[in-house]
Parts: sequence; C-alpha cells; structure tokens
Amino acid sequence: MNLKKYLVRALHRLQKGPGYTYKELLVWYCDNTNTHGPKRIIKEGPKKKLIWFFLTLLFASLVFWQWGILINTYLSYNVTSSLSIGFKTMKFPAVTICNANPFKYSEVKPLLKELDRLIEAALERILQPTPGNSTENVSLPLDLELWNQIPLVLIDEHDKDNPIILDIFDTNQTAVDNETATDSRANKKYKLAVKLCSHQGSENCTYRNFSSAAQAVTEWYILQSTSILSKVPLHERIRMGYQAEDMILACLYGAEPCNYKNFTQIYHPDHGNCYIFNWGMDEEALNSSNPGAEFGLKLILDISQQDYIPYLSSAAGARLMLHQQKSFPFLKDQGIYAMAGTETSIGVLVDELERMGYPYSDCTVNGSDVPVKNLYSQYNTSYSIQACLRSCFQNHMVEICGCGHYMFPLPEGVNYCNNEDNPGWAYCYSSLRASIKQRQICIDSCKETCNDTQYKMTISMADWPSEASEDWIFHILSYERDMSTNVTLDRNGIIKLNIYFQEYNYRTISESAATTIVWLLSSLGGQFGFWMGGSVLCLIEFGEIIIDSLWITIINVIGWCKGLKQRRARARYPDAPPTVSELVEAHTNLGFQPEPGRAPALPPEPGTPPPNYDSLRVQPPDPLGPDSDTE
Amino acid sequence: AATAPGKKITARLKRTLPVRGPQAPTLSELMRWYCLNTNTHGCRRIVVSRGRLRRLLWIVLTLSAVGLILWQCAELLMNYYSASVSVTVQFQKLPFPAVTICNINPYKYSAMKDYLYELDKETKKALETFYGFSEGKSKVRRSVEDWNSTGSDFFEQIPLLKVEDFSRTATELHSGQKRKIEGSVFHKDSSIVNSGDSNDIIGFQLCDANNSSECALYTFSSGVNAIQEWYKLHYMNIMAQIPLEIKEKLSYSAEDLLLTCFFDGLSCDKRHFTRFHHPLHGNCYTFNSGESGTILSTSTGGSEYGLQVVLYIDEADYNPFLVTSTGAKIMVHDQNEYPFIEDIGTEIETAAATSIGMHFTQSRKLSKPYSDCTETGADIPVENLYNKSYSLQICLHSCFQKAMVESCGCAQYAQPLPAGAEYCNYKRNPNWMYCYYRLHEKFVKEQLGCQQICKDACSFKEWALTTSIAQWPSVVSEDWMLRVLSWDKGQKLNKKLNKTDLANLMVFYKDLNERFISENPANTLVILLSNFGGQLGLWMSCSVVCVIEIVEVFFIDSLSIVLRRQWQRAKKWWSGRQQGRAAQATASDVERQGHENPACIDEDLPTFTTALRLPLPQDSPLPRTPPPNYSTLRLETAFTEQLPDTLELGQH
Repeated sequence: MNLKKYLVRALHRLQKGPGYTYKELLVWYCDNTNTHGPKRIIKEGPKKKLIWFFLTLLFASLVFWQWGILINTYLSYNVTSSLSIGFKTMKFPAVTICNANPFKYSEVKPLLKELDRLIEAALERILQPTPGNSTENVSLPLDLELWNQIPLVLIDEHDKDNPIILDIFDTNQTAVDNETATDSRANKKYKLAVKLCSHQGSENCTYRNFSSAAQAVTEWYILQSTSILSKVPLHERIRMGYQAEDMILACLYGAEPCNYKNFTQIYHPDHGNCYIFNWGMDEEALNSSNPGAEFGLKLILDISQQDYIPYLSSAAGARLMLHQQKSFPFLKDQGIYAMAGTETSIGVLVDELERMGYPYSDCTVNGSDVPVKNLYSQYNTSYSIQACLRSCFQNHMVEICGCGHYMFPLPEGVNYCNNEDNPGWAYCYSSLRASIKQRQICIDSCKETCNDTQYKMTISMADWPSEASEDWIFHILSYERDMSTNVTLDRNGIIKLNIYFQEYNYRTISESAATTIVWLLSSLGGQFGFWMGGSVLCLIEFGEIIIDSLWITIINVIGWCKGLKQRRARARYPDAPPTVSELVEAHTNLGFQPEPGRAPALPPEPGTPPPNYDSLRVQPPDPLGPDSDTE
Repeated sequence: AATAPGKKITARLKRTLPVRGPQAPTLSELMRWYCLNTNTHGCRRIVVSRGRLRRLLWIVLTLSAVGLILWQCAELLMNYYSASVSVTVQFQKLPFPAVTICNINPYKYSAMKDYLYELDKETKKALETFYGFSEGKSKVRRSVEDWNSTGSDFFEQIPLLKVEDFSRTATELHSGQKRKIEGSVFHKDSSIVNSGDSNDIIGFQLCDANNSSECALYTFSSGVNAIQEWYKLHYMNIMAQIPLEIKEKLSYSAEDLLLTCFFDGLSCDKRHFTRFHHPLHGNCYTFNSGESGTILSTSTGGSEYGLQVVLYIDEADYNPFLVTSTGAKIMVHDQNEYPFIEDIGTEIETAAATSIGMHFTQSRKLSKPYSDCTETGADIPVENLYNKSYSLQICLHSCFQKAMVESCGCAQYAQPLPAGAEYCNYKRNPNWMYCYYRLHEKFVKEQLGCQQICKDACSFKEWALTTSIAQWPSVVSEDWMLRVLSWDKGQKLNKKLNKTDLANLMVFYKDLNERFISENPANTLVILLSNFGGQLGLWMSCSVVCVIEIVEVFFIDSLSIVLRRQWQRAKKWWSGRQQGRAAQATASDVERQGHENPACIDEDLPTFTTALRLPLPQDSPLPRTPPPNYSTLRLETAFTEQLPDTLELGQH
C-alpha cells in the first residue's frame, strides 16, 4: 500500500511535468530546451524539420567526439615549460676541491713499496728488448705473492687462433723462448693483459686484454692498490691524504677573507681528502648578489706534484666540482680539472629544471620512493641519481661478491674487498662491471630527481704566476704556509682558481601543467557552446527528460499490468460495472487508465466535447502571426 | 511508363516537402521575426525594448558584441600556428656520439717534401726579402742560389706585393719593379684604417686571366696572415692535383695517431675507428662512426666509462707555414652528421689530459607552417654533396660549391666534388683563384642567395661540452709512462717519445640525462573550436546554429524576399501595362502577399494537437458552428504558457 501511495504521489508530481507520452515529452523538450538545435526541429516546415534534425544530430555527435578528444588530451598530462633567464641573488654553489692524487706518496710509500718494486721489475722485463741483462739480480728478491694474486701476462698474438700466454716472471719460459721472444717482440705482437681468476690457482680465469701496456699497468696497479688500501682504517687514510692547511693556501670570497677552516673535509675514495666550500651542512649557505670575478671565490691551491703516486694517477692537477648544497660531489662524473701553473676562471650559470612530479613525469622529489638503499645517506646528503646508481652497484657487489668495493660507501656489516679475504674479488668485480644487465637493472630502478640543477661553466685559463711575479708570490705563499724563508712551492704545484657568477646567473626551465581541470571545463564548455549553444544546465535538462521518460515507462508498465489484471477480472466478472470512484480516478488520472493503448487516443475529455476551434483558422490570422488556437 | 514512377516520387516529395519562401513578407518583418526567435541574446532585446534610447543602446551593444567576437576570433585564428615548448628529461642508456679526431697538421711534412719543395722555398724567400728573416746561414745561401737558378712559378701567378698606401703603388717581390695598382683593394683582415706612418702593407693581387685589367688586390694588416693565406692558396692548388689514395698515404695512419684507446672500461683499438679524409685536416679518425652497423652506447656516466685515447702528435713533422699551432682537433657529433671539424672542432693541447664532459640535448622544431625549417632537406633545391644527413652547414657548403662549379668551372678543394666536376688547379683553370675570391666575397655578403635557400634542420642533437685540462703525464709518472708508451708504439720508433708529442683525451657523459626539447602545436583544431565557442558564447550566447540561422535569414531569406518583391513589381508593371484598369487590384498585392502566402498560415505551428499529431476532432475542417471569439485570450497569454493550461483543462 505504501508503494501505491508513493506511486500515486510520484504520478501527481509527474503530471505537473511536460507530458504523458514520449512524443509529448520530446516536443516539450525541444521547444523549451536551451540548446539551439532542437527548437528548430519542431518550429518549421517538414523539409527544414528534416534538415534540422540531422544537423542537430550531427552537432551532437561532433560535440561528443570532440569532448572525447579533449578528455584524452587532459588525461595525457602534458606540460608546458617556461624559461626565465636573468640575474638574481642566488646561493653560491658548493665547491669541492680535491687533488687528482689521493694520498701523499711519502705517506703511503711503506704500504705500496712491494707493489712498486713489482711493477718496476715487471716493466723492466717487458720493456727490455733482450731479457739477458736484467738488473734483477742486483735488487732484493721480489715478493711474488702479490703478483700471483692478480698477475699481468703477456699475450703473444702472433698466431691469432691460439695465442701464447707468457707470464712475465716465469723465468723458465723466458729462458726457453729467449730467441723467439726477441723476434716476436721486434714484430710487436705482444699485448699485456691482466689475468683474473675466480680463485687463486683455479681454472676459471679470464684475461682482460689491453691494446696498450700503459693502460694495462694502470688498471693492474689500481686493482692491487685498492686491495691494499682497503685494509687501512679510514682515519689512517685521512691522515695520509692532503691536509687542508697544506693544500689551500689562500682563499677570498667576495671581499671577505676565508681560510682552510671554512672548508668541510670529506673523504672521497677516488681523490682522498676533499674539501668543500659552502656545503651548507652546519651553517647557512652563502649568497652571492653580484656577478663578476670580484665577487666570487678566489683560491690558491698547492697540489705538490712531486708527492704523487707515480703509477696511480698520471694526470696532475686539482679536481673541482660545483654542486648544490648538501649533495655529494661525484667528481668522476661532473668534476673538472684545473691545471697546475695556471689561473683558471670559471663563470657559472645555474641551469635549473623544475619538473612536476607524478603523473606529469616520472621523477622523484627526495628519493624515498626509489627501491634502492641509498648508501650515501650516511654522509647526510640529499638523493641524486648518481648516488642511486652507485648504491645500486655496491648492493649488487655485496650480494654477488660478498664484499664491498673500495670506491663506494659500505652497507652495514660488510667489509671492503681485499685480496686476502676475498681472493676472487677482482674477477667478480670486473665481470660485474662489464655486465650490461646489471647496469640496466640499476638504470631502471633509479629515478632522476624532479629538480635538476646543473652548473654550466665557462672555463678560461691563463698562465699564473707570470714570470715577473713568480718569485715574490712563491716566497710569500711558502712563508705563510711553512713559516720558513725557503721556497717550497713551484710552478708544477700551484693553482689559482676564480669561481664567480656570470652576468646572467640563472636559467630556469619550469614546468606547469598544460591542461588543468579549468582548461578542460572551459574547453568542454566552448565545444558545447560552439556547436549547440549548450551549457551544463542543458545537460541537466536532458537528464531531467530522461528521468521523465523513465517515469512514463514505469507508469505505462504499471498501467499495462493493471489493465491486464482488470481484463482478467473483467473476464471473471464480465458484467461488473466500475464503481464511481474508479470512474473519477480514471478521468482525473490518466496514468491509471486501465489500457495504456487507449491513453493517447483519449481526447481531453472533461464531460462536454470541446468546441472546434480549428474553424478559427479560416479567419485571417492576427498580424502577429504564429498563434495557435487550442482554447 | 518509365518516367511514371519518377514523376510520382517527385510529386510526392513536392507534396510532403513543399517548397516555400520565407514566411515574412518584407525585410523588416523578417528581421523582426529573426530577432524574436533567434537564439542569440542581443537581438531579442532590440525588438522587445521600449523607448528609442534603450533600443539604440541595445543595438550598439549587440553590434559591439559582434565586433568583439570577430576581433577575438581573428586573433585566435592568427595565433593558431603557435607552438609551445616542452622539455623532457629522461634518464636512460645513451648512444655514444661519434668522436672525430684529427691531427691539426694534415699531412706528414717529411712525406710532403716532394710536392711542397718549390712552394716552401718561395715562401722562405719571401720571408727573407720582406722581413729579413732566415732560418740559418747555410739554408740562406742555398736559397739565394736557388733564387737565381729557378724561375718561380708561384710569384708569377700570384705575386706577393708590398703596398705603399699613399701612392697606391706596389713593389713586386720577385722583380722588384713598382707598378700602379688598378682595380679595387680589399683589406682582408680588418677595416681599420692604417695610420699614415704605418709600415707597408703586404698582400697579393688576383687578376682575371682573360682580362688582365680586372684585378683585385687583397691586403692584410699583418704579414703573418698574408703569408699564411698566400701559402694556403698555393697549397690547395698543389693538393688539388694529388689523387685521394696518395693523399691518404701521405697523411697519418690510425697506428700513427692513436696510441691507446679505452672505452667503457674496455680496451679498444684502431678497428673501432673509421678513417675519414678531410681535405684540410688530412686523415681523421672517427670513433663509433656506426659504419659497422652498431652504435656503442653508455649506460654509466663518468670519466672512467667514456672514451680515453692517447694521441701521438708528431710535432717535428709539422708543416711550418700551413699550421702554426700544435695539437689535435676533435669533434663530437652524431653518426649521421658530417663533422665540419675546421669550423666547429675543439682543439686539444699536447702534454695535457683534456677531459671533455658531455651533456646531451636533443631538440625538435615543428616544421611548416609553424616555422621555416626542413625535416629531411628534400625540399631544398640544393644537392647535398656530403654523404650525410642534411644540416644547414652542408647546405651552405654545397650551395657554394655549386655556384663555384657554375661560375668558375671547377670545384673548390675544401668541399666534396659534385658529379662531373673536378678540383681547381692552375693548369686547367688559370683563372680560378680570382674567381674563387670574388665568389667567396659574394657568398659572405649574402649575394649568392645561398643563405636564403638554405633552411635549418628541424631536429638536431647537441652535445654540450665542458672542457678542462690537467697536466699529463704528471712529473713523477712521466718517466714510466713515456717508456711504456714508447714500447706500445713499437720498435720501429727508435726514439723515446717526448711528452709534447702526446695528448690525452677523455670524452665522457657527465650524466645520462637526455634533455629533449620539443615544440608542440599550442593549438589543435578542437581547442580552436572550443575557443571560438567560448567567445561566441561569452558575448552573444551564440553557436553554430546561430551562424546557420544568420546565413539562412540574412542571405537566403532576405535574398528571396528581395527577389520576390522584384518579381511582384515586375509582374505588376507588366500587368499594368497590359491592362491599365486592373491597377487597383494589384496594388494591394504586395501587402496581402505575406499573409495570403500559404507559408504564413502555418499549419505546422506547434499547436497542442498538431505537435502531437493528434487527429483532428472532426474530419471535416470547416466550421459547423460559429466559434466563440477567443481572440482576446491571445493578447494576454503567449503560446508556450498556454500549453500546460490546455492540459489542465483537458483533464478536468
């Protein structure tokens, strides 16, 4: 009964609506809607009606099609970039300064003595055109243990298909092949290679070929010295490196003097002790508000080239890098050299790229969503892609080789690789390093940061000090450093650096969303308006009409059901007359008419037949024209 | 019989879709009807407003809205072809670029001795005569002897001259005779006017061989430039006559140039390099040229993982007049790009390690109609002489070479040969130098039209380089390094290497971020239409439907009304002429016509019954009973409001 009540109420509500049949409803909609097309369909002659019907249909489909395109465009999350260039007060970049050579040779000599003797003897043998008159007998007997862990071998590629491998210190072989060796050496078919075995004495060996002996020697020396130095505790290594007061002789920032105490020391595995100016870890970062060399950082460094480790680093100079505050300096990637005996001027332009994060581009804000454990976080530095890649490599190394590589920070509870504890580490490391798959895994798992800052440098060089000023400059600097009147500096060690902002010191590319929700709405509105003159209200109207037609359907169905019931009842009691109330309801409420088929045929029948107003048409219509006469 | 169905159909069509003119009888009626019924907002106000001022106001407002729409839409249309720039950064494995390395000195001087003997002798002589410079006493004596014995071709062809500025006379070096300068004087170096008491200027004169009065004198402010330029002219002339195979042999081989090579942590050798003969730099070697089909790529940044080579620069074997600097030239470029190493190469110092960090940027412009660039170069009417993909530089060089072949009859030495042409030399083209200089001058002044024809390429790859230099080898490692490198070089080199003969080069990616700068169309058709819709809707609530209405009403309907009236008038005039008496009857025609017009009695007006297509209550439409006069009702209620009333009436 409740349902019936509700239905009756709904029906009454509907009666106030536009019509009782679909057609009526449609006509009403067309006449009253705010969209432009439908009105035309009903207003004009049959031909125009047809044309307008199709036009409206066409426009409606156009609108929907273009809406699809617009929504698609929105969902593709395009960005537009804006570029700004100019000068503003900016944070001066952090400047990391290292010596190309990691340790003072005078300090590490005891550790590397054996190694140096080995390589010298080996070179002697390799370079000797005739191996007879070697000076080996004079020198102390060599400790071949180090050698045997990772030996250097000569490969005779005379016969391409089966090369002969000669061990350099294998005296028997050289004695036997004495003559042939000299012959073939004259033909220059020998190549040096590093023999890497998974375990000492095992058969699982690879030979790393080198086209040049110089390369081979350097690689071999790096592998060996890495193994030796990795056993040395960190504080000892720091002591062996260059000290700030020895290296940084003079410092001037803008007009303010600074000294080595303004630099933060950091131990870098490649370059030993590095010193960072303006790192911003403990104190506020310095600002620079003027362009030009006068307002930048001026440094005088001494790299004391005489104290270089001969086989470890063949290039001499200072290594420096500009980077953001609180980021780790990856000197091998982004660092530049400054040559000794010159003044190097570096004009800086900060090239920033600010990107929108997800979903516009795949970048990370602080690296927390990257599935690689950042080992550089122990330095308190921010995330960077380089840190991620290196951490990724080190993690793989620990996983596969069981020890960490000396060049990268260690995860907890793992030791650095050395020849004694991990005899096969060099083999493991070089196979891992050469593995393309491993690199790809790291590239895929690391994400770049959303804010990418680069320092574009304009580098120029001049000889420094000039010949005329050389004497007094060296004198003063030596005096200041060592408090002695002897000149302890020379051209091969001294470097002057000027780092300053250029006239335009920033170039910022920032992204903004090309398609916002506002853009989408206005475009949708524009399309709808352009083709049909519609708005959201029109959509609501349309929805209303759909609800209305649903109601009509429901009513029709109910009416049909009722009619069916009544017909059945009538079939049972064919003569039962309808009650008065039934009749009244039938007249007042069209929806409850027993037969839905009859409903449209029913003329508006309030008892008396209506007068036929159509006759009015015969008379000349009103000058105002289109009026209809239903009353 | 065949036409009967067709006729039937047309008749039926005519019946169901009758052709009718506009409902309104006159133009003003039509306008009124339009204004009342249109969907745009302003018009209705004009008609509905009462009072002249208000009406005028609405007319002005509507017109200004129309004007605004037109203006804004024109603006939108004009800005349609604008592009927006997007920058994407992608971190990925990057293809390593091709690295072309040349020795600055093109050919081994010792090997070139045979070809250049005469020229060098002449040059030395010139140096001695003009500047009193001699390399040593023994040589001077010899050259003095030579002076007398052999006639000098070079000075006869293009003499070096000492010009006295005021008198405009020149002293010829060889003969010592003075002569008056004819023709124009070109200062090759600078346009700075020499001070009056300056020294004599050195230059050379180029004459048209066919017409000796046509001469051009090229002067230089410094003898260094004059001698070098003069030497280069003759040098090119000599080199043009040597076939390519011999030239390749005269230049450095890969073993000569490359001592060590290391890429991505692995050793590499000369097989990774492709030889490429550059006319001005001799044999150059391109690493990773992609000729073997594979292009190497880097998946780790940093100096260890890039290319590291040690170059052997044999300083002692340098040509003293052609090149005055020592070192190598390198260029980083795409595999498909031709290395214009003489234009944009980077020079590398000896006895130093040059570390070059790269940063990769790829740019793409939109081609026509957004900007005037070319995608492949196929639409440029200049034949690409280089076997590489199009670039602006290639186009300019090819264009110049084409002009050169056309006007001088031979090709310039520094650029590739077009089909069927050959390089210029004195024996065949005695006139070429004059011609070349003239043409080059035209080219520089943009008179050849090359700069107009050539367009820049739409997409290009750029490697931004950060170059820094360190001392190499370091003082302490110098000893063993040189020994080992000498051993590498092999036994045929007996002397120990000197560090000024060596250059160390490192080329690596600073990071694997690829910046991709691309232009995208800022507008698509969809967005343009949306913007139109926005404008139309904002000012007048108009849509395409309104536009159609406007076309319908203002063009079709108005025209047909005008035509109809003309027709009526003509008809009236005709009938008036035919029967003058019936003039009165036709006079009312015009007025009656609108209402009498069947179109005006619109049975399609949506009355309740007609809209629903309900059957008329009575079949016979004519009145049986006189209807009550309900006309009064019409004045009070509009039709649309009437409909629900009708329904309610119907129910009760």
